[in-house]
Amino acid sequence: MSFWGQAATIARHELKVESRAGEAFTIVLPFGIVALMALPFALGADLPLISRVGPGVFWVITLVFGLQVALRPSSYREPAQRDLMALLGVDPAARYTGRCLGSGLLLAGVGAALALAMVVLYSPDPIDGWPVLVGVGLLFVTGLVQLGVLASDLTAGLRGRALLAPLLATPLAIPLLLGASQAQEELARGGVILPWVLLLVAADLILAVSGVLSARPLEEAAE
Amino acid sequence: MTRTKVLGALALIVLAAGTWLAWTAPPEAVQREYYRIINIHVPSAWLAFLAFGVTAAGSIGWRITRKRGWDRMAASSAEIGVMFIALALVTGMIWGRPVWGRFWDWQDARMATTALMFFVYLGYLGLRRATPDPIARADRASILGIVAVVQVPLVYFSVYMWRTLHQTPTIRPDGAQMHPQMLTAMLVNLAGFTLLYLALLSARMLLAKREDDLETAPQPVAGTSVARPSLES
Repeated sequence: MSFWGQAATIARHELKVESRAGEAFTIVLPFGIVALMALPFALGADLPLISRVGPGVFWVITLVFGLQVALRPSSYREPAQRDLMALLGVDPAARYTGRCLGSGLLLAGVGAALALAMVVLYSPDPIDGWPVLVGVGLLFVTGLVQLGVLASDLTAGLRGRALLAPLLATPLAIPLLLGASQAQEELARGGVILPWVLLLVAADLILAVSGVLSARPLEEAAE
Repeated sequence: MTRTKVLGALALIVLAAGTWLAWTAPPEAVQREYYRIINIHVPSAWLAFLAFGVTAAGSIGWRITRKRGWDRMAASSAEIGVMFIALALVTGMIWGRPVWGRFWDWQDARMATTALMFFVYLGYLGLRRATPDPIARADRASILGIVAVVQVPLVYFSVYMWRTLHQTPTIRPDGAQMHPQMLTAMLVNLAGFTLLYLALLSARMLLAKREDDLETAPQPVAGTSVARPSLES
């Protein structure tokens, strides 16, 4: 089977596991919406302020809860499954790519639902170039999911992993947050978003290269 | 050990000279005496960048050669880098209070991104601490050490890309934008801090070697009261 064939099979399997466990849409997403609802309680009923901070809050909530989607346990991380995959000759880089594709689709879905919730709860000012914003969101999701899977692999099997993985991933995700939120600000102002899009693309590429190159060493380190 | 002592003694001498120069340099026109903190703040920040660069170099060295010395260098340098970056952040905040009117200003992109880098390397040290097997520890940490160093240019260029209250560089290719006495004091302090970094790195690597030896030494089975099983000769 080709590299992309392996990756696609793993991505499909990730989605099948999610359809049975339902962690991303039945736990992470509701938790994210509760977090979106919590902030206006703290800010009070200042509607213009709530409307202004809404988009920024959305990116932060998507970062924090999106990482939970990418960091959730994968069936491919168990030692027995890992050994079986190695014996079957599955390329570790294809496994990384497949997990990123599967989790990325889930994260895109969770992000879209959170965006909808944010629009309903915060009533932000409408933006003309929203299709561009969807592209920015996809670049954000691409980077975030790669970072989450990388952090998940780095901390596989370690004690304290549930806390350590978000500590590793969150500060490294800030360039993504910065790129996405500033691109949105510029779009709302009618400014130039290219530098921020380039930042997102650069972060995505660096993470893709890091993830693919580190897949095999990390598999060996987990043994 | 001799090398560490020599480097430490040299660092003390140069830092003493740097302190005297910083003390006797003229006050700055606007900031008055507050500017003197740059003699700690700037060298700390530069040394943190250097330390994280060395961590990345050590990580690459480990990945290529699989020699433990490279991993010890990476780990030791990261610890010292975290110390220096914490010093840069604290001195920046102390300076910010009288000059900006607040300890932390979100308009300074470099301050914010430097704080993030501090947390990235705290995570690096946390990852090392959480991995008991020395080889797996070196393998995992080396990957993070290489990925994390990407933050260094981001911190440096954040003031150009984003928003900033931070000064633009005072030492540029076209010459330094400082009074010669102030510049001399800062450069001497930079040399002193560099020597201090080298002394600390040397001492920490020696300690790491001893920790490694202890980790790989044969351990008594079930305490010292039970002898290790062995074949009769």
